[in-house]
Amino acid sequence: MSPPAVPTASHHGPLPGMPPRNVARMRRATFFVLVLLGTILGTWLLAVFLSGNGWRWSEIGLMLVFVPLFYQLNAGFWTALIGVWLQNRPMDDPIDLWSTLTPEDDGAPLTANIAIIIPVYNEDVTRVWEGLRSCYLSLEKTGQLQHFDFFVLSDSDDTNRWIEEEVAWLELCRQLGAFGRIFYRKRRKPINRKSGNVSDFCRRWGKRFRYMIVFDADSLMSGALMVAMTRIMEKNPGLGILQTFPKQIASETLLGRLMQFAQALYGPAFMAGINYWQGGESNFWGHNAIIRLEPFIQHCALPPLPATVPFGGHILSHDFVEAALMRKAGYAVRLLPSTRGSYEEGPPSLIDMLKRDRRWCQGNMQHFWLLFAKGWHPMSRLNFAHGVLSYVSSPLWFFFLVFSTILAATPGSGIRDQREQIALAGQLLLWLTVILIFLPKVVILTDEMLTGRLFKPLRLRLLAFISSMLDTFIFSLMAPVMMWFHSRFVMKIILGQGVRWVNQRRKAGGVDWQEIILTFGGVTLLGVIWSVIAFFISHQFLLWISPILVSLLLAIPMAILLSSTQSGRRFGLFLTPEELEPPTVLGEMENNLAEVKGRLQLPPEIEKSYGLMQVCLDPYVNGLHVSLLRRRRYTELSREYLDEIARRFIKQGPQALKPREINAIINDTETVIHLHYRLWSSAENELAPFWSLAIKQYNIAATNPFTHLLAQKGHQMLEMPMEK
Amino acid sequence: MEALNIQFAPGTGTEQEWNEAYARLSDYFRSYRLHNRIRRTQLILETLRKAADAHAKDPSRKPTDHAIEQARLMLCHWLGRIYKDMQMTPAQLEASGRLGFHLSGGPDKWPHFFLDEQNPPEEMAEAMRIAVRTSGPRMQVSKMTPRDIDLGLTNVAEDTFDRFGKYPYARYALLLLLVVLVLGYVYKLLK
Repeated sequence: MSPPAVPTASHHGPLPGMPPRNVARMRRATFFVLVLLGTILGTWLLAVFLSGNGWRWSEIGLMLVFVPLFYQLNAGFWTALIGVWLQNRPMDDPIDLWSTLTPEDDGAPLTANIAIIIPVYNEDVTRVWEGLRSCYLSLEKTGQLQHFDFFVLSDSDDTNRWIEEEVAWLELCRQLGAFGRIFYRKRRKPINRKSGNVSDFCRRWGKRFRYMIVFDADSLMSGALMVAMTRIMEKNPGLGILQTFPKQIASETLLGRLMQFAQALYGPAFMAGINYWQGGESNFWGHNAIIRLEPFIQHCALPPLPATVPFGGHILSHDFVEAALMRKAGYAVRLLPSTRGSYEEGPPSLIDMLKRDRRWCQGNMQHFWLLFAKGWHPMSRLNFAHGVLSYVSSPLWFFFLVFSTILAATPGSGIRDQREQIALAGQLLLWLTVILIFLPKVVILTDEMLTGRLFKPLRLRLLAFISSMLDTFIFSLMAPVMMWFHSRFVMKIILGQGVRWVNQRRKAGGVDWQEIILTFGGVTLLGVIWSVIAFFISHQFLLWISPILVSLLLAIPMAILLSSTQSGRRFGLFLTPEELEPPTVLGEMENNLAEVKGRLQLPPEIEKSYGLMQVCLDPYVNGLHVSLLRRRRYTELSREYLDEIARRFIKQGPQALKPREINAIINDTETVIHLHYRLWSSAENELAPFWSLAIKQYNIAATNPFTHLLAQKGHQMLEMPMEK
Repeated sequence: MEALNIQFAPGTGTEQEWNEAYARLSDYFRSYRLHNRIRRTQLILETLRKAADAHAKDPSRKPTDHAIEQARLMLCHWLGRIYKDMQMTPAQLEASGRLGFHLSGGPDKWPHFFLDEQNPPEEMAEAMRIAVRTSGPRMQVSKMTPRDIDLGLTNVAEDTFDRFGKYPYARYALLLLLVVLVLGYVYKLLK
């Protein structure tokens, strides 16, 4: 099926999907007037408070860092409040995309081809493919599966992962009879990382599809939602990107469960609020979204930024830029408010969260280049600015506290001034700040208590209330620690230290005390020094800054507590609707993951190199790998060099080789075939202990080698051949 | 398929070496997921006999080495016969051929005919042939060329002035304001 011509955005008047101009303008005017009024009020109160003894440089500095911080607080506050108002408004939102669907659409065949793409980089193979299976089966239930093709686009440079991905692809296709519907592609050189991976897909296969749904390695989406999103795109040709709200799921640690609870409770209101003022100029978050491919291919290829990393070079956070480019091309980028059907996983510990934030921080800081670029829609420019501010606000907050300390330490400073008007301004500002921080949560929680939007039973609503109190306390403790780390990230990036591309850990892996102490020891020390200084300044100041200091002092125990799997679930705390009643797509995946987890384990050294062992010993996996390599030529390396590595590989085992050496032999067709026979034909004394053990254990451990990667029970083996 | 004949008396090599070759061949055929033990034993003996002949001609190599080499030769002949009408290189024949047996469900459906050159059932051969035919959508290459993003600060200024140019009253008001401010400052200085 070839895609029909997509209407161009140069049409007179907005195309369906793009909110009417007057609506968008009115909404933004309302939102930004409220935000600016709040910011001006706060700034004025601070100015009154500080101006008691004239203006000094530290007071000017404090004012400068205060303004953007207070703007950010106001933006969050009004987004949440508008969101709650929209959720409770009796009439439908006139620009709601769901309303474009009619009852007749239910069950009607789709008229477009859709590619579901899953870019992966050294991810947990079982999780990726079991997730894909669940989505595939969910789509099958909708009766629209024939319109969807799945592409796992691998950039994995860990040889074990690479082989496991190939095996998982083969086995899943075999089990589901999905040859010709699920595809696997591995790039030899991961040029331009994830965005390069997606661009490569677009160049090779993009023309065959009208839409692509982008997944992250940990994404999960229900078939019903994906079909609905496709229908919405079909009905609204002005839509370029439709982003869903991915809910966090499957967390096991306290931090993960806290985040997924907070997201479930507060997320929908914030989403509604963001949707209100962003309208057709929303952001793309890189996954769990559907994209119109033709304009994406035409307009959204990313050029490198000037200068070198970390500020320049390849664009890391490509999603915001792609959204801006799509909008620049005249297509709307919209959020689709949804509470079910779109899921992702989050980091299990504070350290994993910080590692992720480090990457995001660099990506967002790079957008500084784009703030002043030509031709953006003003809202796209603002989105970039908000992205930069989300990380720059940490050093601003840090400087705010430093300036406050300096002011408190200076005799006759504003903080100590007790004149009536100045003291009143100070108190008003304090209360205003408290309201801006906590009122949104209070309003959302009250809304939940009254409406039972999340939970119907009263007991669960009360548990949600207690959980909300606890999460507010824990997040308040976390915030200063995050501020310190984010400030360091920003500074490091400014000083020219980039980040490496590392895969994300998404599952709990136990508490690593040493790593935690080494990571957070410095924060504790900072807390101790700052406490001593504050103590000597005045008791009043110590009391004022104590919430920050307590957080810094407790960083290590807090990180340990947050990484723990003692997450309060048995007390009914931090529950989410997905935990109580897992949606089919999630329940199915979790059952399969549990089956694979419960399999017989091989010795650890073999488990570590399982993929490598399989490609060398298993005749089918070896055949598969060679078949997938067959179109490639590998002429850069000499035969003698490859033979020499292969000899060491057999005699000393995989651990004796460097990753690039393993990569060299596994990329060469001839060597891979020869390794298979050479290993099997070598006498015991010619083999490394690893191979002796592997040959003996391989057949014993699994009568079917694929139990290692994918669930087997309950999945009928369809021995369906590959399609012609 | 010939009847099982357990006679095996190699003229060269030690008992220990042949035992090792037997154990290795057993593991090797198990890795093909051949769960039928009788067929596995048949194959091991058949291969060992061929290996014994080869070892007699070249005793410098170990029996295990000969045994696996013979298994490979048997496999290549068997696959060559099944895929004879398909244009495949030796490497493709070995790799894709093996995979074809797995994908067609051969280990469960036709274990007795694995490496049986004489009587491969046509149904099995056809299933194996279909299984190795290419998969995947044909590529339809399209261009996705990055366009330069003009990042200059001057452009923003230009943009602003361009936009400003569309509103003459605002432009004149700004100009007037500037003049008033300059005049006011001069007045303050002179006062």
